[in-house]
Amino acid sequence: MREEYKLLLPAVCVLAFLVAAPTFYLFYTSFLRWFLRDPTGPTFAGVENYVKLLQSSDFAISLTVTLIFSAASVTFSLLLGLGLALLFSEDLRGKRIMRTIIVLPIVLPPVVVGFTWKFLLSSEVGVIGAYFMRLIGLGNLSLLGDPTLALVSVIIADIWGKTPLPFLIFLAGLAGIPSIYYESAKIDGAGSWQIFRSITLPNMKKPIVVAAILRTIDAFNSFDVIFVMTKGGPGMATHTLPMLGWKVGFYYFDVGTASAIGVILLLIVMFLSMPLIRSISR
Amino acid sequence: MLGTVGGLVGGLAIGAAVGWLAKPEAAVRTVTQIVGEPGRTITTTVTQAAPTVERTVTQYVTAPPREKAKINVIAFAQGFAWPELFGPDGTTETDLLKRFEASENVDVTIEWGDEWAVREKVAADVTAQVGKYDIVLVGSDGAVQAYGYAGYLEPLDEYFKKYPQDYFDPNDVYPSFLDANRIEGTLYALPYYSFGPGVIYRRDLFEKYGAELPKDNWTTNDLEIAMEKILEGLRRDGITDVYPLTMRAGPGEEPTLDLAGFIYAYAGYPAWFEGGAIWPGEIRNKKAKPIFDSSDFEAGFRAFTDWAKKFGPPGISTHTWVDMMNTYAVGKAAILMPSAINGYAALGITQDENVKKYTRFMLTPFGPGKKRINSYWTFSLGINKFSKNKEAAWRVLTYLTGRKSMEAFAERTGWPNVTMRSVLYSYPLIKKYGIEEIEHNERSVLENPAIYFPYIPELDLFMDKIGTTASEVVAGAKTVEVALSELQKWATDLMTSRGYYT
Amino acid sequence: MPESKLKLLVIYTLAIVACFIVVFPIAWLVVSSFKTMFQIFQIPPQLIFQPTLDNYQRLFFGGQLMNAFTNSLIVSAITVTVSLVLAVPAAYSLSRLNNAVGRNVGFWIISVRMAPAFAVIVPYFIIMYYLKLIDTIWAVAITYLVFAIPFTTWLLKITFEELPKELEESALIDGATKTAALFRVILPNAVPMIASASILTFVLAWNEFLMAFILTSRDARTVPVLITALSGTHKLDWPIMAAITTVSMIPAFLFITFVQRYLIKGLTMGAVKT
Repeated sequence: MREEYKLLLPAVCVLAFLVAAPTFYLFYTSFLRWFLRDPTGPTFAGVENYVKLLQSSDFAISLTVTLIFSAASVTFSLLLGLGLALLFSEDLRGKRIMRTIIVLPIVLPPVVVGFTWKFLLSSEVGVIGAYFMRLIGLGNLSLLGDPTLALVSVIIADIWGKTPLPFLIFLAGLAGIPSIYYESAKIDGAGSWQIFRSITLPNMKKPIVVAAILRTIDAFNSFDVIFVMTKGGPGMATHTLPMLGWKVGFYYFDVGTASAIGVILLLIVMFLSMPLIRSISR
Repeated sequence: MLGTVGGLVGGLAIGAAVGWLAKPEAAVRTVTQIVGEPGRTITTTVTQAAPTVERTVTQYVTAPPREKAKINVIAFAQGFAWPELFGPDGTTETDLLKRFEASENVDVTIEWGDEWAVREKVAADVTAQVGKYDIVLVGSDGAVQAYGYAGYLEPLDEYFKKYPQDYFDPNDVYPSFLDANRIEGTLYALPYYSFGPGVIYRRDLFEKYGAELPKDNWTTNDLEIAMEKILEGLRRDGITDVYPLTMRAGPGEEPTLDLAGFIYAYAGYPAWFEGGAIWPGEIRNKKAKPIFDSSDFEAGFRAFTDWAKKFGPPGISTHTWVDMMNTYAVGKAAILMPSAINGYAALGITQDENVKKYTRFMLTPFGPGKKRINSYWTFSLGINKFSKNKEAAWRVLTYLTGRKSMEAFAERTGWPNVTMRSVLYSYPLIKKYGIEEIEHNERSVLENPAIYFPYIPELDLFMDKIGTTASEVVAGAKTVEVALSELQKWATDLMTSRGYYT
Repeated sequence: MPESKLKLLVIYTLAIVACFIVVFPIAWLVVSSFKTMFQIFQIPPQLIFQPTLDNYQRLFFGGQLMNAFTNSLIVSAITVTVSLVLAVPAAYSLSRLNNAVGRNVGFWIISVRMAPAFAVIVPYFIIMYYLKLIDTIWAVAITYLVFAIPFTTWLLKITFEELPKELEESALIDGATKTAALFRVILPNAVPMIASASILTFVLAWNEFLMAFILTSRDARTVPVLITALSGTHKLDWPIMAAITTVSMIPAFLFITFVQRYLIKGLTMGAVKT
């Protein structure tokens, strides 16, 4: 066993060194009443920040929006990623070019993804939102101005921008399934769906779970795309927890509450990941 | 040091004596004065009268600081702000900049970012109290108040006396632009480009649909009737993608600048707290509670949201100034208000012939409260309290907001949103807009107060909450009554928790 | 046979539709970089227009683009290499450890990545300031390691787990140490996942904005920081943003094309698993 620990040590040491102080800072400040605009400095406040948050309607709304957004974005990007990975593992001409193209969205900075979709979906100047929608007779719908549609729009933008992540992971995962399995299944006369269910899926369980965790972390922390597209609006229809945390920290300068939001976000993501991780641990 | 001063004074005195002795009859009079800190500044005023021309030349000779001071500025709008100094990409060291740096013995480095990102950096700097940035960019719709009350900005009134300079003349600047940066009388920042309220409109659309043109003493009623006519006319023509009005009603603090202007016009005063209290001291002493569910506040709020819903484009509930400007620039709106500067910006990017030809400016209409709809903002710079080079920073600050910079701004953008009378009434702007429109722009600044909402440390929170509430109403997610009663509760809780009423 | 021809047709159609949906916004963005703001917002969209090179000219003026590019490249390269160097042995040991220590350390590693950026940016700023690393690429690269190491470790861990013990056992029997076994036998079988992890780490490091912005001023600015600084909210110069993005897609594009060839089915896989 000793050699394994030696191999593990460098990564753990580097990480521990880098995250120790910020983690401590995060937890510590969440228990303080500290307004940057107040020259008197921080004072200890116990769980006051948490209590106020849990009672605040802004927090409740942001939490709901975040949960809906993340659930939708994660689920669909996983499904699409898997579908595309299967599609592009087949023998296709121009596979290499097409795979590179499919990966492109994740190369764009989230801010650019946000602006691209914002301008495309705009009901005033957008190719899709103003031109195409009118063409198909849906001109009275405002993709970014209607609260429900705005949420759908930001979810679509996020899915578009982030699907390459599960896609690449699944491509690698599929590549790791020995062709022998498929060959013998075909010899036994199994149909495509059966092959998928009994060979592909079980062997993809781990990549799917890891991709799910990574995507969940991303989705819960997603800020740039939404901020740029709708600023959290209309009203608070697309106002997520990271947006609240950012606003509270950098706009209201309420460091204590912002840290508390950070801690809560962290705990939620951890809580959601634990069962997932357990399902693939020995 | 004393030797240098002595030498300079001596030299000037000798020069003065020679000039006096050798002067032609009453042609040259030389006066030498020493002002400011001894040894730091020497002022000479030379007055020369010839038969037909009287010319006054004032020279300030400043002894530069001993060591070259490194001044860090953080700002947004790279490439747009001060391109004459920093190049069109914002990172060039132009000759003009080099000359300035040499004359003041400073090394100016400027860092750019997006407006929100700059805010983050300043917050980090201020938390760590490192004083990395000597000069910070602040807006008058929250940042000035937040940083000012927290004590992160240097009060600047004394600096005019202690360190005289001839870049920025406070007497040339419209007083309201300075007022916007004063907290309880103390000045915390100097304005770069700034704007007052106005209505930008398309004369051709008004005329086409028989709507009465905006005039000097028009009312919000008149405006509403005009918009109805335009809306009717557009629908009759089957045009569904042009709208009478473009405003910004997105969530967050930005649109509140305009919304607050509506409140002000309809109520006749800043109807946020009882009695229209706007200073923290006032609110404390009078125990002035919020009045967001009062009819005074509701009047302007309702007008804003109703107009946005009825006359504005469908996406208006997420629109920021960029969207508002774009909508007008592509010819999809007849009116842009009340932050008219965005209309001028639209004029700058448009390639639509009608927009270019028929865009006009008029003062905003009077609301039922007998005040014009307001909208004021200054793009200001302040000195960081933790800066280690305040005097040098002051010189840079006054240069960046001074006359030359304003002239360069006006010449480059062609917008009449300058802070100084002498620049507003300069040839390039008069040529572009005609003297009447320039006068209207001046009046919009003179006739409307800069402070039309409370100047309290919590302003940021209020601006954000009110703006988001309005966006919800415009999007149809809440009714005005529900929204305002929730807003009232939120405000009361907040002010109470901050100890205003104990 | 007609059935498999139909299947092929369906597959090709789906693939092309997928590519179209992906490409459309990107194509729009690239086209925007050759237009003025006004032209971009025309409805109906102008397919035939007077192109302008203004945006690109402004971009290359002053050399800040080259600077940002170099910074981004270096930072991304450092992040990918260092995280691989650290993650590979860690992933291997986690995949072979079957005890509580392994499970807990594994969970802790991924949990490191879960903290939201806005919550930890200030402490990072303070740390880097006192280490005098502000505005150097090291500050940025070091911070990115925090995100990259857990990511790569877990992706490789699950890949290694799928490789049966027999693989290294045969090497060990020949007298190799576990470390050597790792390199000689395990790694070559994990090439696809290493490729994916590298691409993703490179791209995510290339793209990251918040940390890069806070931790740099002028010298060490990366491409995303430059993008927002140049376009900003004060006039929101979308054509410039489109131009920079178009240019900055090229290195990533090349990297992906190059690394992609490794995303193929394994070499010795079939032989061993049976």
